[in-house]
Amino acid sequence: MPYREKTAWLYLIAMAATFGPYFMIVAANPPREALPNLRQLSLYAVTAGVQMLILGVGHLYLRRVSPQEAHTPPDERDLAITRHAISSAYYVMIAGMILVGGIMPFTARGWSLVNAAIAMIAIAQIVQHGIVVLSYRRQQG
Amino acid sequence: MTGMKGILSNRIRTLRFLNGEMSQAELGQRVGVTRQTIAAIEAGKYSPSLEAAFRIAHVFDVPLAEVFQWET
Repeated sequence: MPYREKTAWLYLIAMAATFGPYFMIVAANPPREALPNLRQLSLYAVTAGVQMLILGVGHLYLRRVSPQEAHTPPDERDLAITRHAISSAYYVMIAGMILVGGIMPFTARGWSLVNAAIAMIAIAQIVQHGIVVLSYRRQQG
Repeated sequence: MTGMKGILSNRIRTLRFLNGEMSQAELGQRVGVTRQTIAAIEAGKYSPSLEAAFRIAHVFDVPLAEVFQWET
């Protein structure tokens, strides 16, 4: 498995392990809309912190098990896959921002807006790293 | 302009064999791409850039047309 596919899996796992539970908690127990809401803010802070921790430990582990691959610069196929993934995620992000910033303010406020924005960022990230994984899987020799 | 349907095939596996069973990793190193990219090109799953294609031909010391063929 190419090193960059491994790191894309790492991002997907970190996202599922942190923002999965975050949105489950938010859906089961919707926060009060008033800002600031310290309980909700601390939940988000813990989620982001754990995600950074998983990514940090994961990157260190991957560098340790395949040090040569980790230091190899991306080749033309890696760059093409990255470009394709980022451009797809960009459209998801733009659509999300139009929804959250342009449409939702008419019907929602407070933490609903904040969580919708976080969800759109998370979806764009999942699309980006998901496309990276799919591209490497499809082009597997 | 109408699109021309065809398949890009290659003889990289044969040329590696003829060059002392050169490994994908060694070819990749000499071309400047990863082993996985050579494997993807060899399997016809990824079309390399013109520069990479010329580099592959250069490693085997053959013209580009001996490495890659366009079949309609």
